[in-house]
Amino acid sequence: MEKIPDKLGYLILTEEGAVLESGGELENDERVATIVTDLISLSNSVDPVAFGHNEPLKKISIAYEDHWLTICLSNKKIYVVKRSIQAPASEGIAVNV
Amino acid sequence: MEKDLDKVVEEIMATSNVSGCLFADHQGLCLAAKGTAHVDSAGIIVAISEQACKLQPNLKPPTVSLESDQKICLIQRHGTITGAIFKLKT
Repeated sequence: MEKIPDKLGYLILTEEGAVLESGGELENDERVATIVTDLISLSNSVDPVAFGHNEPLKKISIAYEDHWLTICLSNKKIYVVKRSIQAPASEGIAVNV
Repeated sequence: MEKDLDKVVEEIMATSNVSGCLFADHQGLCLAAKGTAHVDSAGIIVAISEQACKLQPNLKPPTVSLESDQKICLIQRHGTITGAIFKLKT
């Protein structure tokens, strides 16, 4: 978790949604933990025709304008990472004409 | 009004790697569905977008992406309408 670049915060949860570890902006954020676990249980029932019964979801991403959250399930734990989105360098440069 | 939505659906379906798309209103009622997207999943898709909006209610609704090994589902809310696009990974 420490090595993730542009990380703003993280949560490690049990499958039931209890916080095991947390840090940064998501430190002890039980509200986000509850929303994320609800989101995962909802996502599991999304369109079996489009996704196929034997094709489990690997990753959920929630993207805002300047940051995004990514959610993964591994080893019976839910990993949530909040990362900032860096604008491409060219956009940050003002051009004077 | 349906004609405009149908046009958008056709445009989306003409995009490469798109296998299906669906639009629903805020109550979870399906407005349009094409390709692999099933009408029955409209409610779940709206529920997912509402759940994601709860994360940061003061910000604009986020784009949610659900990924499996071969497919991606992108969900975005705009006003009262929620759209979902099912894509194959390249």
